[in-house]
Amino acid sequence: MGTSIAASGKKKMSGFAKGYLILLILVVVSWAVFKVITPHNFGSPANLLQYFQASLIAATGAVGFYFVMVMGMFDFSIGANIMLSAIVGCKLAVTFHMGYAGLIIGSIVMGAVVGLINGVLYVKLHIPSMIVTTGVALVAESVANYIAGGVEQTLPAGLRAFGKVPGDIILALVAFAIAYVILNYTKVGTYTYAIGSNEAVAKNMGINVNFYKVLAFVISGAFFGMMAILTISYGSSMVAVTGMGSMSRNFIPTMGCFFGLAFKKYGMPLPSIIIGEFVINIIFYGFIALGAPTAIQDVITGFALLIIITLTTKVNKGEIVK
Amino acid sequence: MSEKEVRLQVRNVSKNFGITKALQDVSFDLYKGEIHALIGENGSGKSTLTNMLTGIYTLETGKFILDGKEVHPKNQVEANNEGISIIVQEQGTLDGLTVAENIFLGHEDRFIKGGIRNTRAMNQEADKLLKEYGFDKIKANVMVDEYNFEDRKLVEIVKATYFKPKVIVIDETTTALSQEGREELYKHMKRIRDYGGTVIFISHDLDEVLSLSNTITVLRDGIYIDTVDSKDIDVDGLKKLMVGREVSGNYYRADYGEKVSDEVVLSMKNVSVPGLIKNINLDLHKGEILGIGGLSESGMHEIGKAIFGASFDRTGEVVLEDGTKINDIPTAIKHSIAYTSKDRDNESIILNQSIEDNIVLPSLNELAVAGPFQSDRKKKNFADKYAKEISVKMVNTKQFVSQLSGGNKQKVVLARWIGKDSDIVILDSPTRGIDIKVKQDIYQLMDSMRKSGKSILMISEELMELIGMCDRILIMKDGEINGELQRSPELNENALIEKMV
Amino acid sequence: MANTTTQKKTKQAGMNSTLRTLLPVIGLVVIFIVFNTLTSGGMVSSLPLVITQVYPIIISAMGVFFIMTMGGLDFSQGSILGIASIVICAVSKVSIPLSIVCGILSGAAIGAINGFFYVNRKIKSFIVTICTMFLFRGFIKYLTTNSPVAGNASLIYLDSTGLKVTLTVIVLLVGFIFFRFTRFGTDLKAIGAGEKAAKFAGIRTDRMKFWIYVLSGAITGFAAFLSVIHIGSVTASGGNQLETQILIALVLGGMPISGGAKVNFLNIIVGSLLYVILSSGLNMMGVTPQMNQMIQGIIFLIFVFIFADRDANEVVK
Repeated sequence: MGTSIAASGKKKMSGFAKGYLILLILVVVSWAVFKVITPHNFGSPANLLQYFQASLIAATGAVGFYFVMVMGMFDFSIGANIMLSAIVGCKLAVTFHMGYAGLIIGSIVMGAVVGLINGVLYVKLHIPSMIVTTGVALVAESVANYIAGGVEQTLPAGLRAFGKVPGDIILALVAFAIAYVILNYTKVGTYTYAIGSNEAVAKNMGINVNFYKVLAFVISGAFFGMMAILTISYGSSMVAVTGMGSMSRNFIPTMGCFFGLAFKKYGMPLPSIIIGEFVINIIFYGFIALGAPTAIQDVITGFALLIIITLTTKVNKGEIVK
Repeated sequence: MSEKEVRLQVRNVSKNFGITKALQDVSFDLYKGEIHALIGENGSGKSTLTNMLTGIYTLETGKFILDGKEVHPKNQVEANNEGISIIVQEQGTLDGLTVAENIFLGHEDRFIKGGIRNTRAMNQEADKLLKEYGFDKIKANVMVDEYNFEDRKLVEIVKATYFKPKVIVIDETTTALSQEGREELYKHMKRIRDYGGTVIFISHDLDEVLSLSNTITVLRDGIYIDTVDSKDIDVDGLKKLMVGREVSGNYYRADYGEKVSDEVVLSMKNVSVPGLIKNINLDLHKGEILGIGGLSESGMHEIGKAIFGASFDRTGEVVLEDGTKINDIPTAIKHSIAYTSKDRDNESIILNQSIEDNIVLPSLNELAVAGPFQSDRKKKNFADKYAKEISVKMVNTKQFVSQLSGGNKQKVVLARWIGKDSDIVILDSPTRGIDIKVKQDIYQLMDSMRKSGKSILMISEELMELIGMCDRILIMKDGEINGELQRSPELNENALIEKMV
Repeated sequence: MANTTTQKKTKQAGMNSTLRTLLPVIGLVVIFIVFNTLTSGGMVSSLPLVITQVYPIIISAMGVFFIMTMGGLDFSQGSILGIASIVICAVSKVSIPLSIVCGILSGAAIGAINGFFYVNRKIKSFIVTICTMFLFRGFIKYLTTNSPVAGNASLIYLDSTGLKVTLTVIVLLVGFIFFRFTRFGTDLKAIGAGEKAAKFAGIRTDRMKFWIYVLSGAITGFAAFLSVIHIGSVTASGGNQLETQILIALVLGGMPISGGAKVNFLNIIVGSLLYVILSSGLNMMGVTPQMNQMIQGIIFLIFVFIFADRDANEVVK
């Protein structure tokens, strides 16, 4: 008996270590490849810190989106949500002279509200989340455009503390800590996994499945609100595009989440999301260092996501995939 | 008998699923400190009753009175709070959660202070419980995914009993367990009885039922038949109660000693499917009913899929009389092989599709009028003809299959293959969840198919129907054929069980 | 008692299916009349112009209709149209008939990529197709970075209502005949309603799913030809948003989002017309593009809700 305890304990440890090892190898390999091809303008320690900071933006949204993805749902309104939240935050901060309070509260509350709308419509209408969120994205884009009055919203230099060290790191760390606590130290985390594992059984156990699904969308939305703060602080302005143009912002946080799902089995989903986003950014900056034209960035993004999903999806024979 | 105190009164409980009457006006009493077995054939309503008691299904008509108070749980957690719990046949633990999280799922509030859960206290509590139960090898903070089915059942035992429930339901759990696991479960059933709890024990193994329980209640087709004292009855007596007097004679086929043709229509040669079956060799003769029996996990259900070309990574050969090799489903169907799956609602019929489409699907090529073009009238007539021939209870063939009862769904599947005029018919659990009347129809249909020279491979977990219907029975164990039994009036269940375990 | 509930159920099902077929048609008529009144006859007078927008949508919607019938989704149609348009423009300088073939082949090739990842790698169809949508959108942007890709100057002379109507009607008619009168439609619906059971009834589901994606890509590749002869060149936004337009159109046409037995070929035609009239009607009334988009989004959600083919106990993700 004693040996079996030790064995299972050891197995868990090695799973943990194995996850970090794989991620470390990914970081080193992606860095090394570009360092070899273009040694002079890529990959110095200062560069790497820059890449890491940039990756924190998407990682902040992704750790929240993880709650939605674990339950098996999806969100097409990520980009529209970030756009809307950033514009509302910026408007409150600038036009309504509310400063940082307006930026933070406006973005996060707006993000959570979009999440709430997604969640409530999804639960009440009983239609696939991906379809609901497509409809919500259409509406959110036009609302953002309406609020912005069709003009670019610029965050003045005095309000961009979250766009540089240490502001961005602090906000990201706070976000990660909140996600970590919710996931590991509250029943919300337990129920999230329970619903993701088997909704019917979870329901039988007395879990209010619909409530926790809505809650997951609200949490996810609030984190996208934080991501919106980082996005507009980093880029200094935001344009409200329409015609589903916001879709392009969906990709990077989604990629990180796929890392999280793939490394869930090693018991370290959140760190893997953060490191995963870092790896993606190393690859992006690598291509920029190579002088790839900007249009090709989209090609790389689409391709990278497809490859990441292909590598992280287990092909179960006979499984029905729609 | 004065010390017998009533624990739970079941009063006038009824339940319908669509048009199927799962339970009709069932009433009986359960007492403190007893193991009360609930038996009956598949579809007799045992699980429906206990699922309502534990909040998995909603109770519509009738009452459950626990210790004099009416209980009406809406889910398992509410049932637990009333002192009722259940261990089910299927996996009841959730992946992605630790052992401790599974044990306290829905009851974690006691570890939560200010919204934050004290995970360490929860793990300690769970470890303490696991130790008390003697399951030291299971650790509270480990993901439940890392344990096998047996160990996860042990976790469920802790989860369902740590709070000293007044009533616990054990729903066909034993069939999935090894002897060791069973002993463990029996121990805890007795422990609960000894402290005055009531165990509701559902099992198909009548010997197990007789040796373990104090009282036995029999259900048949959703109707309460009788409650008897275990001391006063034997296996045959129970069977009589379960099956009922009216169905004996021509329930199964009546003939014995008929010679089966030497002509082999299909054979499996060294067929293996990774993780499921190993080196299977068998011959199916013309006009023969060949039975495959075994425990649910013995690999028996994969035999049907392997023949039909539906297995993944299959090695070895499935060959017809004329040398045709069957490697995929379309080839199998083209060469007159039919298959009905155990998982009827997913693999045999398309639920959200009309009866007509379900019946014509494999025969569409034969029903074409010119080139690839189909005629609606021809399709309708075809579906009508075979649905009527096998008397499917329906409004018309445009009706969706999802509205039919289990037995009628199975009839739609059979109508499809009769319409296709298949010569080799593989029936996996053909009578699963079907009421006695339709069962009898299916047995008679099988008998007449056999007489008209068709060959049938029947895979079944119900030993009685294998004994009653088959010319030959192969018993599977751990993915291999573990024995062969010939048709004879003397053949009994024990002979089969011996080879199964 | 059980019998009356079944009858009620059947009756209800019958009513639902009537609603499903009739509501979009009624909607089409009502919206047309409303807009025509509001714009004081503007709808009728500008009908030819409005209809011009419908050809690429209605043709490529047919391919997506096949995909959605078997329960899949496709968000890459816009990028397929864009890439195919670029191919057609480039090849048209050599030969116009050859350019049509090349357009169809390039669409089919992208469809094959979708199909491969969806069928062989078992990745959800909407995820695969948003990836390819983005990937090929990048290529379109790259290829049109400096200037739009212009086609053979004589292409524009082909742009006549007669040709476009004829080609559209032929494509739809062929699609309709095969969907309604051969086992093609029955098989697709069976896959959508229950893929596993369809497989056990002898349909080669994986092969079918792959080729439907190829077919859908090819159809959109052909639609690109009609789009090119109208404009004469391709810009970075060529085919942009087509996938959303198709999705909205099909839903407005009464298509259940999960496919299956209740789809109807009419969904394509009614839906595409309804969508085009709705958006150009709002446009004509002076509604801003972003307001137009918001109205479309809300109507989309309402229609999805009405036509969703749902079962109370089903788990929806």
